[in-house]
Amino acid sequence: MSAGPGTIAFRILILLLLVFLLAPIFVVMVFAFNASDYLEFPLKGFSLEWFRSFFSSEQFMDSFFLSLRLAVITSLIAMVIGTMAALVLVRGGFPGADLLSSLFLSPLMLPAILTGLALFQFYVILGWPRTFAGLLVAHIIVTIPYLIRTVTAVLQGSNMSLEEAARSLGASEIRTFFEITLPLIRPGVIAGGIFAFIVSFDQFPVSLFLVRSDMTTLPIQLFNYLKFSFDPTIAAAAVVSVVMSVAVVLIIEWTVGLQEYAGF
Amino acid sequence: MSAVLSPSASSATKAPRDKKRISPAQILLLLPLLAVFVGFFIIPLIVMAVISLLSGNPVSDDNVHFTLANYQKLFSDELYIEVLVDTIKLGVITTVFTVLIGYPLAFQLARARSPKIRTLLLVAILSPMLTGIVVRTYAWMALLADHGIINSGLESMGLIDGPLPLMYNTFGVVVALVHIYVPFMVLTVTGVVSKIDLRLEEAARSLGANPLRAFVEVTLPLSMPGILAGSLLVFSLAISSYVTPILMGGFSVLTLPILIYQQLSGVFNFAFAAALSFLLLLVSLIIVIAYFRIIKRIAEGAFS
Repeated sequence: MSAGPGTIAFRILILLLLVFLLAPIFVVMVFAFNASDYLEFPLKGFSLEWFRSFFSSEQFMDSFFLSLRLAVITSLIAMVIGTMAALVLVRGGFPGADLLSSLFLSPLMLPAILTGLALFQFYVILGWPRTFAGLLVAHIIVTIPYLIRTVTAVLQGSNMSLEEAARSLGASEIRTFFEITLPLIRPGVIAGGIFAFIVSFDQFPVSLFLVRSDMTTLPIQLFNYLKFSFDPTIAAAAVVSVVMSVAVVLIIEWTVGLQEYAGF
Repeated sequence: MSAVLSPSASSATKAPRDKKRISPAQILLLLPLLAVFVGFFIIPLIVMAVISLLSGNPVSDDNVHFTLANYQKLFSDELYIEVLVDTIKLGVITTVFTVLIGYPLAFQLARARSPKIRTLLLVAILSPMLTGIVVRTYAWMALLADHGIINSGLESMGLIDGPLPLMYNTFGVVVALVHIYVPFMVLTVTGVVSKIDLRLEEAARSLGANPLRAFVEVTLPLSMPGILAGSLLVFSLAISSYVTPILMGGFSVLTLPILIYQQLSGVFNFAFAAALSFLLLLVSLIIVIAYFRIIKRIAEGAFS
């Protein structure tokens, strides 16, 4: 394709749209290192003050480690029970298979705030509101769709005749699973687990009704902080979160490859 | 990431359609997840629907009975209808701008030839998605506030005298929401655009259509299923957003989720909050069903 005026205009448009996507994050990163209480130009000079403020705040650190623990446990459980279900669903064929798939995918599209609210009311009626276990179950439900999608995507792309071959050569169902199926689906399970981790770590609406003042996840702690103060401590927290996210993207890229998981 | 969202990776089963029986081993594999979903997703949602028909909080109030009063209140008070209309309006505006911004990016991503450029684009589009809603909303607050980066920058250059009203209104909310949901649109549309046969466009051009006309008459119509699926997804996410309307709108923008939260935490009106939620659930369910239908038809190749 020659670079006609249309092509050049389109490239400029793409560049502007990328600026729109990335500029806010870039700006926050700059101000996280700026020695001023205000998010104003001109910049005052380099400072790590806001990182000190974030890492020395007991509240932020409690929330940070709560979110981390929650995200790790959530993704581990989701990886196990989500993969088990996906293995059955992808072969499908039995009555209700499509219905079950839709059920397990629906938290992706149903307003998460409703999942949280319904669970909150349910827990109140049962008499156990605002527990870690209750929060954990809620996070598992909203992360399951990611597992189902990534694992079914790999299973559909993989060669099922390998399994049949192993079986016909006399391998037991269990041996076939561990020696053939698991290695085949591992990238999907890992990718799904990473998505589950990110979704849980950044989860806001589902947690909203389920946290307590002494058990607050990081996104909700940041939100509460933002309602009253606006200093760049949040920017520092944002940088920490961005660094974590970029690390996760890089891990996906190195372990399984982004392209492969893009599905196109 | 788009394996999660892209229509091409739909879970629609491609196995032969003979009705197999489910084996005991398969039931065992399904059981844990099914138990979690029945116990902590389906039943709570049903409980919520039941609570919306009660006269008060079944735990703390005496003499709770069944009534339609919550729904009557909902549809008789202008405030609530206004909030519902505003929420849907916000969803529509957000969706339109998300398409306008997301489509060109998806097109570029689908058509980029060099794998390096594709990976770079993908990272650029995904990284905001991995940053968290609160953080991204904060970024827009930093940019658009009265003493924010844009206003203070323009003032120091002497271009404006007072701050432009960029935040604490619908404009600010829409800008931040569009920014948050563009990646969802891009990932949904890219899968569809990349499957469009380039030869169709070439044929149109060899028949004398200029590039623009070939695009408008061939590529764009073939992209419609992706645009539609992405729009339903974004609309559904936008009408249920809470953080961004609160922080960017500064309580001048009232949406259904905000109202629900107020009813529960401020007024502690359990039953009315449930009725409002059920309304939001119904709207979303209709959208979700439409979305899955389109996704399934894309997966089955009904549009190509």
